Amino acid sequence: MLLVELFTQGLVQGSIYALIALGLTLVYGLLRILHVAHAAFFTLGAYVGILVCNASGSLILGFAAAMATAGCAGVITYRLAYEPLLDKPPFVALIASIGLYIASEEAFRVLFGAQGISFVDPPLQQQLLLFGTIRLKMAELLVMIGSLAIIFVLSRLQNGTRLGLACQATVSDPQMAESFGISLRLVRDLNFFVGSALAAFAGVWVALLNNLVEPTMGSVPSYKALAIIVLGGLGSVRGTLAAALVLGVVEAYGTIYLGKLLDRNAIAFAFLILVLMVRPQGLFSRR
Amino acid sequence: MKTAVLRPLVCSAAIFALAATPALAEIKIGLNVPITGFAAADGKSALEGAKLAVAKANEAGGINGEKLELVIYDDQASPKEAVPVATKLIEKDKVVGAVSGSYSGSTRAAAGIFQQAGVPYVVSYAIHPDITLAGDYMFRVSAMGEVQGRGGAKLVSNLGKKRVVLLTMKNDFGQALAAGFKEAAPKFALDIVAEYEYALQDRQFGPLVAKVKADNPEVIYASGYYFTAGPLVSQLRAAGITAPVIGQEGYDSDKFMEIAGDAAEGTLLTTSLDRDSESPVTQAFIADFKKATGIGTDMVAASTYTAAYVLIDGLKKTGGKGGAALRDAIAAGSYETPIGKLAFNDLHEVSKDIQVQVVKDKAFRRHSVIHDPVLLAPPSKSGK
Repeated sequence: MLLVELFTQGLVQGSIYALIALGLTLVYGLLRILHVAHAAFFTLGAYVGILVCNASGSLILGFAAAMATAGCAGVITYRLAYEPLLDKPPFVALIASIGLYIASEEAFRVLFGAQGISFVDPPLQQQLLLFGTIRLKMAELLVMIGSLAIIFVLSRLQNGTRLGLACQATVSDPQMAESFGISLRLVRDLNFFVGSALAAFAGVWVALLNNLVEPTMGSVPSYKALAIIVLGGLGSVRGTLAAALVLGVVEAYGTIYLGKLLDRNAIAFAFLILVLMVRPQGLFSRR
Repeated sequence: MKTAVLRPLVCSAAIFALAATPALAEIKIGLNVPITGFAAADGKSALEGAKLAVAKANEAGGINGEKLELVIYDDQASPKEAVPVATKLIEKDKVVGAVSGSYSGSTRAAAGIFQQAGVPYVVSYAIHPDITLAGDYMFRVSAMGEVQGRGGAKLVSNLGKKRVVLLTMKNDFGQALAAGFKEAAPKFALDIVAEYEYALQDRQFGPLVAKVKADNPEVIYASGYYFTAGPLVSQLRAAGITAPVIGQEGYDSDKFMEIAGDAAEGTLLTTSLDRDSESPVTQAFIADFKKATGIGTDMVAASTYTAAYVLIDGLKKTGGKGGAALRDAIAAGSYETPIGKLAFNDLHEVSKDIQVQVVKDKAFRRHSVIHDPVLLAPPSKSGK
């Protein structure tokens, strides 16, 4: 009973991790950059979502605005910060990324205040009773369904459309792809747009679950998502999804049964170390 | 001819006089406060509280006609920032006294430096025991974590409840509260069913909530700040848990109610600010703060206002002099403040009642007052 509830809570958390980590894994797969500043788009999305929803009264509009804003901001970040560094060693981009993330936290604080903001009338807070035993908020149920749906659609697009194939070609051999007429820039812009929009999507869900958006809300996801993409075998969409869900569930049980020994946020890394000792290529990598 | 020679002289003399006057007539007091970083929200309240105390004192004529100047530095609530901040306040700004509007980590780091320089340091809401142990130039206007924790245990007993679950925030504030609560629990025959810890960064408590629900306690004693407590209380209520939640002064912010919404109703907190107090000083502070900032006051603002007020009161007695004279003046005083009547013991801690507030119709109202000088005695030189 308790075990089932913990499992469900783990899946809710895991779905959010999956959405955040997915963008990170797209960028890593494409450019081999560890995009720490990705978490800034998660926070940005949450702010835009709440502000637009509060102003318009429409949550759907909030989601759309959040994803569009973060998507565009992601493309701009790529063009301004990462593109000029592509021929430098990867740690240069990593340092730029960490700097960007820190700057973004302070920018949010200056723009929106340190205290954080909330929904005036938070939507989707209805209580549901699933299978007669599991109590969930509507928002918790929808975040699971939403993230699975979006990841399913994404993987269909990746394998079933010309653009998706172009992305994959760019990952495996950028030069060859370019000589076949694929625009590298378009593919990279697209990846940053989709990845950042997904992070914003996750941000709005977290805002709905906590009813609080703060400048620092991305700090834990920023490094936890790195652990997840390593677990998922760097660059693999399905691996990332699986790793995120597994980590969510491990954390849910760990919080209760290991809480005295290990911080919840340390569990992810203890788990990461354990997995890497046994499977250095990550949990789900086929390589 | 004559005037042509004199004019530049007169002019320069006038400029000199103008430039010199304000520099001569200002008494500087320091404030370390987290303006950026994770504690920036509390820092803002603290800053406004201290500014209000200084503005009030200056309106009333300053110290013998000399104006007070508040020198403000951002310590990010971080020990490594607090050390240079304290040094700057002492060496560069030559403050006669200082106020901490910050958390325990940075305040502890700064305390030793102020003590060594012989600069009185009045601490507002940092609750770590080591702070006043740094020496006799340290003063604290708030009740320490352990003391508040003991008060929490008494409140559970006053509510007629026995079975408690502790949700403890993993920092010095949360752990000090839990330690005090557990120390006093046997006195009231409380049954601590379980204790769970969570990190300061946590906002999603799904697994904890599921476990608390299974434990089915009569009351939940949860330490936290409004930014953890808001999501926590709302998630507890969403899971159908109806047991009363007891929080502490960290909940004491209008933001708590904004985040938790209807779930906040009925939450109890042990704090130092009684918004329904009959004291004219408290009511005047609440009104002045609203007028100065446009926002409602909270515990942090009231405590930092009080700390600055205590320091300024000491300066009034010494005529603006710092050092040992100021230390002795502060130690000897008794104060009517927004957080109650205060007097310092030999360790420069205050003994006071705990104000229990309850959230009712989206506002903090008086629930009860815990008056128990023995249980709530702060540590003293002779005692500990």
